[in-house]
Amino acid sequence: MNPAMRTLGLAVLGIVVPAVCVVVWMGRAEKEMLAANDATADVALASASEDDYCSPRLKKVLRRVAGACGLIDGAGRGCKPGDAKNVAALSGTDFNTLFVPLSHRASIVQFDAEQVELDERAKSLVESAWSEQRGASFFFVVARASPDGNASYNQQLSQQRAEAVLNHLDQRFQDPDLRGSVGLLWLGEEYAQLDKEFCDWRRSREGDCTTKDINRSAFVAWIDCQI
Amino acid sequence: MHDPMHDPMALDDDELPPAFRKRRGGVGGGRVWLWVTAAAALFGAILAGVSTADFISHLDRQVHSIHCSFIPGAGAQLGDSGCRTVMMSPYSSLFRDSMWGGLPISVLALAVFAYLVYRAVDLALAEDVDKRHTVFLLAATALPVLMSVIYGYISMSVIGTVCKVCAGIYVCSGVLLVGAFLSHRNAGQPTQWAHGGMGGTYARWFGEGVAYVGLLTVLYIGLAPVSEKSLEGCGTLVTTEDKSNVMIEMGTRGGDKAIAVLDPLCPACKGFDNRMEASGLMKKLDLDVVLFPLDSKCNWMVKESLHPGACLVSQAMLCDKDAAPKILAWAFEHQQELLEAAKKDENNVKRRLREEFPSVASCVGTAKAKNKVNKSLRWAVKNALPVLTPQLFVNGKRVCDEDTDLGLEFTVTKMLEGGRR
Repeated sequence: MNPAMRTLGLAVLGIVVPAVCVVVWMGRAEKEMLAANDATADVALASASEDDYCSPRLKKVLRRVAGACGLIDGAGRGCKPGDAKNVAALSGTDFNTLFVPLSHRASIVQFDAEQVELDERAKSLVESAWSEQRGASFFFVVARASPDGNASYNQQLSQQRAEAVLNHLDQRFQDPDLRGSVGLLWLGEEYAQLDKEFCDWRRSREGDCTTKDINRSAFVAWIDCQI
Repeated sequence: MHDPMHDPMALDDDELPPAFRKRRGGVGGGRVWLWVTAAAALFGAILAGVSTADFISHLDRQVHSIHCSFIPGAGAQLGDSGCRTVMMSPYSSLFRDSMWGGLPISVLALAVFAYLVYRAVDLALAEDVDKRHTVFLLAATALPVLMSVIYGYISMSVIGTVCKVCAGIYVCSGVLLVGAFLSHRNAGQPTQWAHGGMGGTYARWFGEGVAYVGLLTVLYIGLAPVSEKSLEGCGTLVTTEDKSNVMIEMGTRGGDKAIAVLDPLCPACKGFDNRMEASGLMKKLDLDVVLFPLDSKCNWMVKESLHPGACLVSQAMLCDKDAAPKILAWAFEHQQELLEAAKKDENNVKRRLREEFPSVASCVGTAKAKNKVNKSLRWAVKNALPVLTPQLFVNGKRVCDEDTDLGLEFTVTKMLEGGRR
């Protein structure tokens, strides 16, 4: 073969082979790029949690209570017994039953008779419960009083207990979202008294627990429902 | 037109003046070394081709396996490998700010090796080759050797890993040089008639080499797919407000506001951080970090702990925000051992954090620290971010996930330019 032709042939072959490869690879990449779906389309988006116990009935009650008690608009004014009973539209027993699935999330902060101060263990329990927010949107504080004394006094007592929990959280965490997340209900002795079974729940005091003891309390729990 | 006085190879024997025919020089025993040189160049071209194909496959902005073996075409891996680390590093390509992914060095290597195959085969097939020809080949093979030395050094000392395909190319470059040297040593001296200058021939051969590189470069740049999506970004932040004070300043002083959503124990975040650092983008950005640990201990959005221990490290960073950049760098450096330690017992990570950073010792594990991490996760909820890390927002615009590796420099540069318009 003519050396010049051989050289030319080799030179062309030498560049054509890699050039064709590049063209083919590029074509394939462009085709796949156009065909590819949005890479984030199948990725879940960050959202508040919605646990299995969030039955439509629970959510309905929560929505009504949260709305009526000023939680949804962030005012956090709280609900007194009459309000809670009316908006929940449930018997006291049914109201308590709704919260049974929250046993793993709830804590019961106990108080001495006629007292509204949180002791050290109560403070620690409230802090621990608050720090376990995870994806929950609302923190309910449902305070009660035992049926000793008159109803009006007990209503006031339970209100102060609920507020003691809120104030402690405020002081401890200085969380700007706190007022918009915490729903206060004070039920006094008039509505949804806890029965003795609640003594088995996580609470701030060990040892003996009577029905009166368990109602001198504030029930605190994060609610993992999007209401 | 060929001038036999300058380029006797260009003519057949019967085309030469009779007086020249029996006095032509020869490569003698060097011919076999020319074939060795050609074979080494061919092998180098194949390896550079494999590397180029892997690089180009990523231009579709998806995740692909990468070949990582001394055997061309073998050892494709989807996960982490030295080859992936090297490919994702800013040293794997040029002009990354100007085109998505940049111009891969492997394309230039492919062109150079292809040219050397051509040049070595042409010399091996030529009847008359003397030292004037082989010296050019020897000089030409110095280029891949020089580049191999430079890239080998960068690989070992800067990137900290060696890619097997690259190592294969380095070896080929070495064999090329040896082959070219032995070809040259065994080549005959120029014949009496061939005393003319070789300047023109060298210029032509050099021009051919430049043409090889130029052609493949132009072809690559011209055909590289362009995605408008990269420039538009993938969504915007609902709010950059930080009422809960969860953002961590990373000490960068660039002008444009950027937010990186990271998990301190996520390997992809570590790679992302390395790329950001190496690319020089940190200097252009005023970067804050929002922590999003993919650890079910604190993150309800993941069913299982993808990165156990990440919640604790995040707590430590939020406990002492001044020390947070150091804690993050430490967590990235010891990522694997921290993950292993957390799998056995999370308290191991807590202990390590307390030992390394005494300022966070009394804070990690407390309700307040947990609350801080929760607030960080809630920032992601407020912005409805995808549950993945890393994520980068530049001036509120989200860099698409597929642009956070090879296309990072290009995409961020274009976003910054867009933001200033």
